[in-house]
Amino acid sequence: MKRFSLVEFSVDHPWLIISIIAIITLGFAVQFPKITIDTDPKNMLPATSDVRVYNDSVEKDFALHKDTIVLGIVNKNGIFNQTTPGKIVRITDEILKLKGVAVKDVTSFSTVDNVVANAEGISVQPLMADVPKTEQEMAVFKKSIYDNPLIVDRLISKDATTTAIYIPLEPGANGKEIADKLKEIISVPHPSLPNKGEGTEGGGYREEKGDEEYYVAGDPVARDTFGAEMFKQMGLFSPIAGMVMMIVLYLLFGNFGLISSVMAVAMISVVWSMGLLIGLGYPVHIMSSMIPVFLMAIATDSIHIFNEFYFRFRELKDKKPAVLDTMKVVGQPVKYTALATAAGFGVLAIMHIIPVKVFGIFIAFGTIVIRLMSFSLIPAVMMLVNENKILTASSGEDEAENRTARVLRSFGAIGTHQSRTTVIAGIIVLILAVVGISKINLNNNMVNWFKKGSDVREADRIINEKLGGTALGYVVAVSEEDDFIKKPDTLRYIESIQRDMEKLPNVGKTFSVVDYVKRISRVFNNNDPAFDKVPDTKEAIAQYLFMFSMSAKPSDMDNVVDYPFRKANIWVQLKTWDANAMQGVIDRVKAFTASHQLPGAEFKPAGTAYFNFVWNNEVLYDMLKGFILALIIVFIILVFNFRSFKWAIIAYMPLLFTIATIYGVVGFIGKDFDMPISVLSCLSLGMAVDFAIHFISRFRRRMEENQKQEVRSKKQEENLASGHLPLDSSLLTDSLLWTAARPGKGIIRNAVLFAAAFSAMIFAPLTPYVTVGLFIASMMFLSALMSIIYLPALIVMFRRWLL
Amino acid sequence: MNKIKSRMISVVVVLLLTAYCLLPTVSHAADVTDIMKKSQLAFLYPGKDMKARVYMRLINKDGKERIKEMTMLRKNYQEGGDQKYFIYFYQPADVRDMTFMVYKYAVKDDDRWIFMPALNMVRRIAANDKRSSFVGSDFTYEDVSGRDIKDDNHSITKEEKLGDKDAYIIKGEPKDEKGADFSYKLSWIDKGNFLPLKEEYYDKRGELYKVFTADEVKDVQGFPVITKRTMKDVKSEHRTEVQYQKTEFNIGLDDDVFTERYLKKPLKKWIE
Repeated sequence: MKRFSLVEFSVDHPWLIISIIAIITLGFAVQFPKITIDTDPKNMLPATSDVRVYNDSVEKDFALHKDTIVLGIVNKNGIFNQTTPGKIVRITDEILKLKGVAVKDVTSFSTVDNVVANAEGISVQPLMADVPKTEQEMAVFKKSIYDNPLIVDRLISKDATTTAIYIPLEPGANGKEIADKLKEIISVPHPSLPNKGEGTEGGGYREEKGDEEYYVAGDPVARDTFGAEMFKQMGLFSPIAGMVMMIVLYLLFGNFGLISSVMAVAMISVVWSMGLLIGLGYPVHIMSSMIPVFLMAIATDSIHIFNEFYFRFRELKDKKPAVLDTMKVVGQPVKYTALATAAGFGVLAIMHIIPVKVFGIFIAFGTIVIRLMSFSLIPAVMMLVNENKILTASSGEDEAENRTARVLRSFGAIGTHQSRTTVIAGIIVLILAVVGISKINLNNNMVNWFKKGSDVREADRIINEKLGGTALGYVVAVSEEDDFIKKPDTLRYIESIQRDMEKLPNVGKTFSVVDYVKRISRVFNNNDPAFDKVPDTKEAIAQYLFMFSMSAKPSDMDNVVDYPFRKANIWVQLKTWDANAMQGVIDRVKAFTASHQLPGAEFKPAGTAYFNFVWNNEVLYDMLKGFILALIIVFIILVFNFRSFKWAIIAYMPLLFTIATIYGVVGFIGKDFDMPISVLSCLSLGMAVDFAIHFISRFRRRMEENQKQEVRSKKQEENLASGHLPLDSSLLTDSLLWTAARPGKGIIRNAVLFAAAFSAMIFAPLTPYVTVGLFIASMMFLSALMSIIYLPALIVMFRRWLL
Repeated sequence: MNKIKSRMISVVVVLLLTAYCLLPTVSHAADVTDIMKKSQLAFLYPGKDMKARVYMRLINKDGKERIKEMTMLRKNYQEGGDQKYFIYFYQPADVRDMTFMVYKYAVKDDDRWIFMPALNMVRRIAANDKRSSFVGSDFTYEDVSGRDIKDDNHSITKEEKLGDKDAYIIKGEPKDEKGADFSYKLSWIDKGNFLPLKEEYYDKRGELYKVFTADEVKDVQGFPVITKRTMKDVKSEHRTEVQYQKTEFNIGLDDDVFTERYLKKPLKKWIE
């Protein structure tokens, strides 16, 4: 009946199998030194993707920097005092010496020029040529700042407590490294003070004896800090998860040989798949860095083999037949659960987001490796383990006596005896879950991947509260006509779009070429507010802009208009990194352009905020598509596994139930359905169906065995499955309770092990890990309970249809 | 006879050249300053006055261009010191007739005036922005009108051939760190005519960020003139190419060319 000779071969030649596996593993392990790491979430989308190509072209057209760090400086007593301005100068000077900073475009009080009207005409001066010393100088300085709308909300908060230094990065610079250097610059003590002060209030850094607090924010900081942290967390939590698994395994099975084989399987699958990934030249990206933890989780499925082996061994007291028998009964479900898991991840291979693809393919590969090990390494190790030790360890393994087994049996009894109530209760929960799911909010916000109170999140919050906003998007006006942007109508239109966008609560500040033109117009006309507007002729606009170009950095102009003046770039500062905020801007612009026409021009979004919005959506929807596809494929696998459509539907129920419940809860508690959660959906699918496969396969085999005993019939199992035999309710109940108690124990063991390993992640400092930990732990318990309680209820209820 | 005479002359020339080459190389601080002064005079002060048609091409990384075309008038008032500049813009078309005037002083900030034809208005600009861009180009005002030699410490680092020309490489470091964007610059000064052939600017981190090159030098009325020059921003790969055409020296510019009245209505003969 069993065509698979690998198990027998492994049982007969355990050492040979172990050696072969060790050699292959070594082959994969030597690939590791070639590792390359890519922590940039931007690479979720290939450099050739539309949004990146478009963003690159916008960056080129307007000489924009990809990344900018914002250093917020807060002094609760106001920054116009005797010391803060001097500190701004010192810090800016130090920043100009940092490698990786685009020094020419660093914007702070001490680097920007200010054009103002004075008695004799116009004055072009550095905003803060010298630190103001007298009170009078300070008053003049303060006035010059608040007179310039280009500066307010960008370099100074309305309440005068906050200023910022904008630090654009050169291509390829690492935001976290520069943020770390900034923190060093900030915490250098005043020369007269002996030790370095690093306050922690509000996540900011406080210079000793100063009233200033410093906050480092901006997309590159969040992104690169997250990237760096992610690898650190992976390095920390993978071993912790492994350790916890070891301990739990020992408590469950009490034998180190067997435990180490489970751990070895996990490690081997990690080494093989990561080795292959590295060997093929893929960089380890944020997503692929999660492969080890996921594979470790999947490897726990081997538990079912040991679980059964312990029972069998106690019954047979002979190792070799116990191993072979175990593999015979567990082989089929183990094969199909692996297939289901592999399918869940494998579908990701057809997605178009490369890191998602890589993640899916290599987890699928690792899953297959795990299964290969289940049929080779595990039987081989089982053969080598000392019989007496197993005997002692497995002494408690008797479904009739064992306490766990008894509890499980009673769980099974709930479903079996009160099937109607159970099913109805389940339906109610399911309805609630659907309500919850309808409330799910698709969103992503990388800053929220950091915990509340963390440096990154606090910095972002404070700067967003005081200034225009740390998240930057662009809205680009595009025409096909040279000098189109210099037309008064165009500028007025851009101005009204800006005013319209600013009505959105998340839009903190916008600015464009219009603001420059208006500024110069006013200054040129003796600071008369009546001239704070777009002039009436194209020539006047051109000449104001020419004047502007004589008093600013070339980049100031380049950042807002392209060379032939066909395009204009509106900067939109957002007060949140919510992907939804940019969506709001896009919708608003669409609505505006629909109701107000500007012939010859279109308005298109761009920038980091836009990119984040696009890639989040793409990843999210890609995952969602993959998830739906996986649901279908898993169902097909179930049909094949059970060779029955009906049983596939029944086995599907705990899966649907578990997933619906979890996402229902996500919807109810108002947690955003974000990237980490969407990644989990595929895992949950592959895992949640496992228990049902084990349960139903074993139940049906038990039924078959029981029936054989009772009826003494020699009929084939196909006939059995198609319901040719008389239905005996005591037989059914018996088999269900036996399944709940014996393979059920394997299920519970698997769930406990899994949940224990992942619960360590709840203590991680990054919220996606907490999410993953909680999500997986609750998923395992839910689907275990579903399988043990709900499946019997369903089977009893639909027994006439099924059997 | 003539043959012998010319041969003798060439012998003398060769001997003199050889002697010149054998002269000990200049290396004292005083000599360095001297070289810099000569360089500045050769570069920015040739003739009593000057008129040139200047084509400026601002070229971005993509090769997209903005053209600025102007007539530039200059009159010297003091050797190596005060100067007046008058600039009339032809291009871009929508700024045609704009004029710009600079009084450059050796000892204080420049005075500038701008005329905007669209508003028919002249405005005086008080500026303390020598490091700002000159009309949006990669040149700063300082690059165009010169940096005070006294602001930097100079030293000769090397002498080498640049192309087919012998040059001193002079390192200039600002005395006041805050007084410049560069931490130091290297200038290749032509030993023959003292024009700067190339200049490299290094930022506060010691990274090269800006390069000036003299791409074409021509003799105009006995003055060596850099007729093509480029300033390249190394980081942004943006560059500005400047071409001097129809350069004339000693044309007899009146003082009243450099007045507000002429800003609004410049005389045709001077700007064409």
